[in-house]
Amino acid sequence: MSYQPPATGYEALMHRSEVAVSVELQTQDMTLNIGPQHPSTHGVLRLVANVDGERITGVEPVIGYMHRGYEKLAEVRTYAQMTALVNRIDWVSGFASEVPFIIAVEKLAGIEPPERAQWIRLILTELFRISSHLVFTSSYPLELGGVTPLFHALRERERVLELIEAMTGGRFHPNFNRVGGIKPAAGGGKTQKQVSMDIPGGWLEDVKAAMERVLGATDDSDTLVTGNELIKARTVGVGRIPADKAIEYGLSGPNLRASGVAYDLRKQEFHLPYDQVEFDVISGQDGDCYDRYWVRLQEIRESVKIVLQAIEKIPAGPLRAKAPRVLKVPKGQVYVRGENPKGEFGYYIISEGGQKPYRLKIRSTSFSNLSILPWVLKGALVPDLVAIMGSLDFVLGDVDR
Amino acid sequence: MNDQPDSTEALYAYGTGLAERLGGRAVIEHDTVRISIDRADWVETLRRARDEEGLTFFSWLSGIDWSKDVEVGETVEDPDDLVERFEVICRLSSVENADGAQFIATLPKDDPVIDSITDLFGGAEWHEREAHDMFGIDFTGNPNLSPIYLPEGFIGHPLLKSYPLLAREVKPWPGDVDVEGMPEEEGAEA
Amino acid sequence: MITGWFWVDLIIKVVLVLVVMIGLALVAIYAELKVMAHMQNRIGPYYAGGRWGWAQPFADALKFIQKEDLVPAGADAVIFKAAPYVVVASTVATFVVIPFSPSLVARNLDLGVYFLLAISSLTTIGVLMAGWASANKYSLMGGLRAGAQLIAYELPLVLTVAAVVVQAGTMSLVGIVEAQAAPIEIGGLSISLPFLLKGQIVGFIIFVVAAVAELSRIPFDMPIAESELTMGYLTEYSSLRFTMFFLGEYAAMISMSAIAATLFLGGYWMPFVPDSALIYVGPFILVTKIAILVFFMLWIRSTWPRLREDQLQDLAWRWLIPVALLNILVVAFFKVVVF
Repeated sequence: MSYQPPATGYEALMHRSEVAVSVELQTQDMTLNIGPQHPSTHGVLRLVANVDGERITGVEPVIGYMHRGYEKLAEVRTYAQMTALVNRIDWVSGFASEVPFIIAVEKLAGIEPPERAQWIRLILTELFRISSHLVFTSSYPLELGGVTPLFHALRERERVLELIEAMTGGRFHPNFNRVGGIKPAAGGGKTQKQVSMDIPGGWLEDVKAAMERVLGATDDSDTLVTGNELIKARTVGVGRIPADKAIEYGLSGPNLRASGVAYDLRKQEFHLPYDQVEFDVISGQDGDCYDRYWVRLQEIRESVKIVLQAIEKIPAGPLRAKAPRVLKVPKGQVYVRGENPKGEFGYYIISEGGQKPYRLKIRSTSFSNLSILPWVLKGALVPDLVAIMGSLDFVLGDVDR
Repeated sequence: MNDQPDSTEALYAYGTGLAERLGGRAVIEHDTVRISIDRADWVETLRRARDEEGLTFFSWLSGIDWSKDVEVGETVEDPDDLVERFEVICRLSSVENADGAQFIATLPKDDPVIDSITDLFGGAEWHEREAHDMFGIDFTGNPNLSPIYLPEGFIGHPLLKSYPLLAREVKPWPGDVDVEGMPEEEGAEA
Repeated sequence: MITGWFWVDLIIKVVLVLVVMIGLALVAIYAELKVMAHMQNRIGPYYAGGRWGWAQPFADALKFIQKEDLVPAGADAVIFKAAPYVVVASTVATFVVIPFSPSLVARNLDLGVYFLLAISSLTTIGVLMAGWASANKYSLMGGLRAGAQLIAYELPLVLTVAAVVVQAGTMSLVGIVEAQAAPIEIGGLSISLPFLLKGQIVGFIIFVVAAVAELSRIPFDMPIAESELTMGYLTEYSSLRFTMFFLGEYAAMISMSAIAATLFLGGYWMPFVPDSALIYVGPFILVTKIAILVFFMLWIRSTWPRLREDQLQDLAWRWLIPVALLNILVVAFFKVVVF
C-alpha cells in the first residue's frame, strides 16, 4: 500500500502546494541512514529511510546486528543449560521469556511443577511485566522530548528490580526456572550451604510496599503525560494500525490490544494460574501511538492488581518437583506460548529423545512487531518515525535473537 | 495442569476436525496440533485456514532440517527411521480463542522451493526471509528475499544440520557439568 | 560617561557587557541544572564546588574548552568556524541596549527596540551556516528546521513588540520603561502599571511563546531534537565552538527574558520605588524579573515534550501571527481613540 495523499480539506491544499513546489524545484529524495547507533532506535537497528524533506517515502529496516544464533546454540545445549540463555532474548522481561521454555520442556518430559512454583512464576512474570512497561512509560516521553517522566518511572522500577534481585539473585537475567519448578531461593549449589529452601523472609510484605510505589509512578505518569496536550498532539492519530493489519502481521500484546483486539494470552493459556486471579484485558480503540502508550500504562495497574492477589493466594509446598538430574526428554514436539510484556512469546521444541533439543524455534515478539514498520511508516514525517518506533516497544535482542 | 478437564480431548477433537476440513494429516500431542499438508496445497490450505477456520493471526513461519548426519547437537535415536527432508512449519492462530495449529509442508532436500504466503499475510515476508537465510529454502513470490539476519557476503545457511558451530570446532562440548543437585540431596546440609 | 575619554569608556563598556552576559549565562546554566533536577526528583550538581555544586558551570566550560577541536573533513571550514561567532556576536549585541537602571545601559539608542530585533535575528543566519557547513545530513535537517522555525516565530515577536512601541510611543528601551513608570489616572487614583497590566497580556503571552521558539528550547527544540537528530545543527561542533553555542543559548535566554521584562513587566522600575533609589536598586529589580521568566522557561522545559515541525509552523502561522496582528489593532485603537 503506497502513500495516499489526503484528498480534501486543508491537508489536501497543503499537500498540493508541497507537490507543486517540489516539481518546480526538482528536489530529490534524500536517503537518510538512521542508526545503527542512534539515540532512539532501542538498540542496534538500522533504518534506511528515503526522505523527501520531512516526509518519509520508504523505509527499510536492516536488522541482524545482534543476531546471536539462539536457535543453533540451543541445539548444542541441554535444556538446563539453555535456561540460562533464554532470558537474554528479551532482556527487559527476562523471566517472562524463560517461563514458556521451561513449561514446554516440562510438558515434553511429563513433569508437573508444584503449585507454589507456578504461583511464584506468575508473580515474577507480572513483576517483569511491570518493569518492562515502566521502561516504556519512561523512555517513550523522552523520545518525544519530555525529559521528566523518565525519572519518576525508573525510580519506582528500581523497587521492582530490587524485589526480583532479592528473590532470584539477578535483576535482569534471573535464570530462576528449573525443570520441575523454580530454584530454591538461596544456596543450591554443591559448595553452598542451603540457608533457606524457600522465598526470602519478608519478601511478600516488600512486594506490597513496592506495588504502592509503582501505582504512585503510574499516577505521576498520568499527570505528566496522559493528559498532556502536546503528547496528544504528537501521538493521537499517528501511526494508526488497523486491527486486520495488526493480525495479519502478527502483532501481539499491547500493540494488538491497542488496535482494538482484546486478545490476551493470560486469558487463554493456563500453564500459569491466571484463571485464579481477576484482572481486565485492556484494549484501545484506534491503534495509534497514544493508544499503545495508554494500554501499557493501564496494564501496569492490572499487573499490580494481579500481584496483590497472587501474594495472598500462594499455597505452601515444595518449590520443585522431582526431575532426573540428567534430563532426557522423550521424543515429541510441543509449542508453548506465554504473554510476554511485549506480546506472544513462544517456543516450539522438537525433541528426538535426548538431552538437547533437535530444533528450537523461538517465536520472538519483537520480530513480528517490527515487521509492520515499513508499512506503518509510509508517508509519515521524520519525527513521527521516532514516535511510532518507540510506541511499538521492541527490544533488539528479541528482534535479532 | 490447572483445572481444565477434557482439554486434551477437546483439543483432539478440534485438531482432527480441522485436519479433515482442510485436507491434511493431524498429529496432536502435548496440547499442540500439527497438520501436515502437501507442498502444492500450501497457499490454498492456509488461505482456507484463514478465511474459513478463523485462524487469522499469523504467528510465525520457519523451517526444520531433518538430517541423519548432524554436525553439531543432538543426533537422532533412530537414524534409519528418519527421512531426510526440509519442513516448512507455519503457525496460525485465532484472536478470539486459544485455537491454533502448526501447518507443516515437506520439501525434498534437492528441491527446497515452496510458494510464499506473503499475499495472505504481510508479516510472512520477514519470516520467510529468515527461513531462506537459515535454511536456503526458496519462497517463490516473496517480494524481497534478501538476507535479513546474516551480514553481506555470508556463505552458507547456518541452521542446516551440516553447518558447523565454530565454537564447537575449537572446543568440544564440555558435557554434563555444572548440574545443580536436587533439593533433597543437599537439604541435609542446611 | 564613566571616564571622560571615549575609547576608555568604550572598552570598559564592552568588558562590562561581556562580563554581565557571561555571568548571567553561567547562573542560568546552574539554575537550569538545579531546577530541572529538583523537578525530576533528583539533586543535580552536588560535588563541584562544595555541597551546592555551584562550580558546575565553570567545570563544564573548562571541560568543553579542553576538548579536541574537530572540523569534519567534508565541512566547509570557513563557514563552519564562523557560525558560532555569528550567533554569539548577535546575542552579545542585544545586551548593549538593555537598561539595568536609568543610567546603567551601555548605549541608550533611540531605536533600541528596532536594533534589538534586527540584531537578534542574525542568529538565524548563524544556525543555517552551522547546519549547512557541517556536511552531515542530520545537521542539515536540523539547520533547515531551525531556519524555518526561527523565521516563522520572528514575526509574532516583532508584531507584539510593535504593539508595545505603539503603546509607549517610543522605541528607546529606557523610554518604554519610563512610559510604564508614568502614572495614569484611574478613577481618581494616580498609579503606574507595567504594560502587562495595561492591556498587553495577550502580547506578553505571544512574546513569551515566540521567545521560547526563537531560543529553540523545548517545546520548540525541533532544530536540536536530541532524540532524533542527535544534536541537530550542533552535532559536529566540539570544544570551544560548542561552548560558544552553549553559552550563547543561555545568554539569549537571559536577553530575551530581559527584553520581555523591560517591555512588559516594567524593566528596572517597580511601583513605590522612588526615582533616586532606582539607580541602585534597578539592576536587582530587573534581574529578579529576568529570574522569574527564566524559571518559567525551565519549568516548561521539564514538563512538556516537543512539538513536531508542522505543528510548530501551524502554531506560528495560523494562531500567533493573526492574534498578534489583532493585538496591534486593538492597542492602536485604544491608544489613538480612547486615551
